[in-house]
Amino acid sequence: MSAAELDPLAGARGTSMRNRWPFHLALAAAVALAVGFAAPHLIASVLWLSLLTQAIVDMILATSVGLLVRQNGRISFGQAAFFGLGGYLFAVLMVREIASPELALAAALIGPTAIAFLLGLVIARIPGVAHAMLTLAVGQAFYEVAFKWRELANGDDGMSVPLPRTLFGVDSGLFQSPSSMLVICWSLLVVLLLGLALMARSPFGQLTEAIRENEERARFIGYGTTLPRAVIYGISAFIAALAGVLQTLYDGYISPEMLHWSLSGMALIMAIVGGPKVLWGPALGAFLLFFLEDLAGDATEYWPALVGGTVILVTILLPQGFAGLIAGLGRRAGDRLGWGRP
Amino acid sequence: MTAVLEGRNLSRAFGGFKALDDVSISVERGQIRGLIGPNGAGKSTLIDVLSGRAQNWSGRIFLGEEEITGLKPQQRRHRGLARSFQRTNIFPAITVRTQLQVAARALGTSGLAEVIDALALGDLLDRPAQEISYGDQRRLDLALALVGRPQLLLLDEPAAGLTVEESLKLADILKDLVHRWDVTVLIVEHDMQVIFSICDHITVLHLGRILAEGKPEDIKRHPDVIAAYLGSEAP
Repeated sequence: MSAAELDPLAGARGTSMRNRWPFHLALAAAVALAVGFAAPHLIASVLWLSLLTQAIVDMILATSVGLLVRQNGRISFGQAAFFGLGGYLFAVLMVREIASPELALAAALIGPTAIAFLLGLVIARIPGVAHAMLTLAVGQAFYEVAFKWRELANGDDGMSVPLPRTLFGVDSGLFQSPSSMLVICWSLLVVLLLGLALMARSPFGQLTEAIRENEERARFIGYGTTLPRAVIYGISAFIAALAGVLQTLYDGYISPEMLHWSLSGMALIMAIVGGPKVLWGPALGAFLLFFLEDLAGDATEYWPALVGGTVILVTILLPQGFAGLIAGLGRRAGDRLGWGRP
Repeated sequence: MTAVLEGRNLSRAFGGFKALDDVSISVERGQIRGLIGPNGAGKSTLIDVLSGRAQNWSGRIFLGEEEITGLKPQQRRHRGLARSFQRTNIFPAITVRTQLQVAARALGTSGLAEVIDALALGDLLDRPAQEISYGDQRRLDLALALVGRPQLLLLDEPAAGLTVEESLKLADILKDLVHRWDVTVLIVEHDMQVIFSICDHITVLHLGRILAEGKPEDIKRHPDVIAAYLGSEAP
C-alpha cells in the first residue's frame, strides 16, 4: 500500500510559507518574550509598569473568553467566576493554612478547571441565549457565596492576602514588584498563546473547530461532541483562574468583585473588540480597552459613556474586531507577495 | 440475500401528523435501494430515524444482526452506517482537507484516496468549504459520508440543486464506488432519471406508509404509484 493510500491528505500542502508555520510561531514567541524581558529596562515609570501588568492580567482573562468563542462557539457571561475562584482558592487555602502556598496555587488552578469541565458536560449541550444565561447564573451563584459568606473571606469587605516569603523557591517580592510581575505575566501570556496556537493546529483543535462549525455533522462523522466541548470549558477556566491567581499575587487582596458578572461582561467586550476569531485578538482587545478606560477616566468623569460609544463604533465598523482587520490586511499583503494564506 | 439494514414497524409522529406509520423496510447487502414518494411521504423522516438523527416512537432497527435502535448517530457511524443530507451539511469555514482529515481520524483512511479522486476534490483540498461551488459542496458532503468505507450509505437527495448533467455524473460516481466497495445504499431522490439509472430496487412511500416495493420496471408500471406519485409511466 502506498504512502498516499495510507494518508492521502498528507503531502504537499500549498506554499512553502504555509509549511513553515512552526518556525514563524517559534520566532514570534521568541521575539515577544524578548520584548517582555526588555520592557522593564525600557520603561522608567513605575506607574506605567504597573498599568501594563494589570493590562496583561486582563489580556489573559480575555484570552480565556476568546477561547470559548473561537473553539466552542459559545458566549459566556460567567467567566469571572473562574477568575475569582482562582484567586479565592489560593488566598483562602493559604491564609487559613489549609495547604502550603504551592499546593494552594495548584488547587487554585486545578479546582476551577475541574468545576468548569464538569459544568461543561451539562451546559455544552445548550446553545444560544440559554447558554449565556446559564453561565451568568452560575457566575453569580459563586459571587453571592463570596459576597455573603463572611467567615470565608470577609464577605463584601474582601480579604488581604499576605504572601509567603517564597513561592516555589522564588522570592514572593517578585510578584508584587511591577517590573518583575510584568515579565512574569507577559511571559505566561506568550506561553499560553503559543500553547493555544499549537492546540488549534492539533487534531483536538481541528475537532473542536469542526464541532463549533457544525455539531450535527461532527456527530455523523463519528464524534461525540459534548466531551471535547467540556475540555475547552476546562482549559478556558484554567486560563481565567491563572489570571485570577496572578491578580491576587500582585494585589495581595481578594474581593467578591473578582467574581462579578460585570467583569465577565467586560472580558467578553474585550474579546469581541479584539476579535475572537484570531487567537491573539481578545488579548489585543483587552490591551486597547484597558488603556482606553484609563485615558477616558483621566479626560472625563463620564468615561463609561466614552468607552461604551467606542465599543459600539468598533462593533459596527469592525465586526471581526481589530485583530480581524489586521489579519485581513496581513492576508492581502501575503497574497500580493505570493505567500498564499498566512 | 442478507439484510444489511432492517427497520421493523417504525412509527414517528409530529403532533397529530403521522410521518411514519408502521413502516418496515429491509435493505439487502450490495443493493442500491431507491426511496421515492411525493413531498411529505415520510422519506426524509425514515432516513432520519434510521440514521439516528430522529428517534422513532415505536419499532426496531437492525444493522446486520445488531440492533441499533436508540444508538446515537456517532455510534451508528462507527458501526458502518453513514449518511448525507438533503441540505448541504459540511463545515463551512474549514478547508476541505481539514474536514476530511477530521473525519478520517474517527473512521480511518481506507479508500479515501479513491473518494477524493472519484469526487474530484483533489484541487479543492486547501480551500475553505464556504468558498467552493454548490456542486463541489454537495460532493464534499458525499465524501464525508464515504470516509472510512461505510457498509451502508443513506443518501437524502444527493442530487438536490444540481444540474441534470451534474446529477447524472454523480449517479455514475455513486454506482461505480458502490459496486467497487460493495456498499449498500438507500437513496432518497426526486430526480427519477437518477433513481431509475442506479437503483436495483425501489420502495415507494405515501402518507407515511409503504405504497409499493419492487424492481424499477415494476414500479414504473405500478398503477398505485402512477396515481399517487409518478403521474404517468416513468421513462
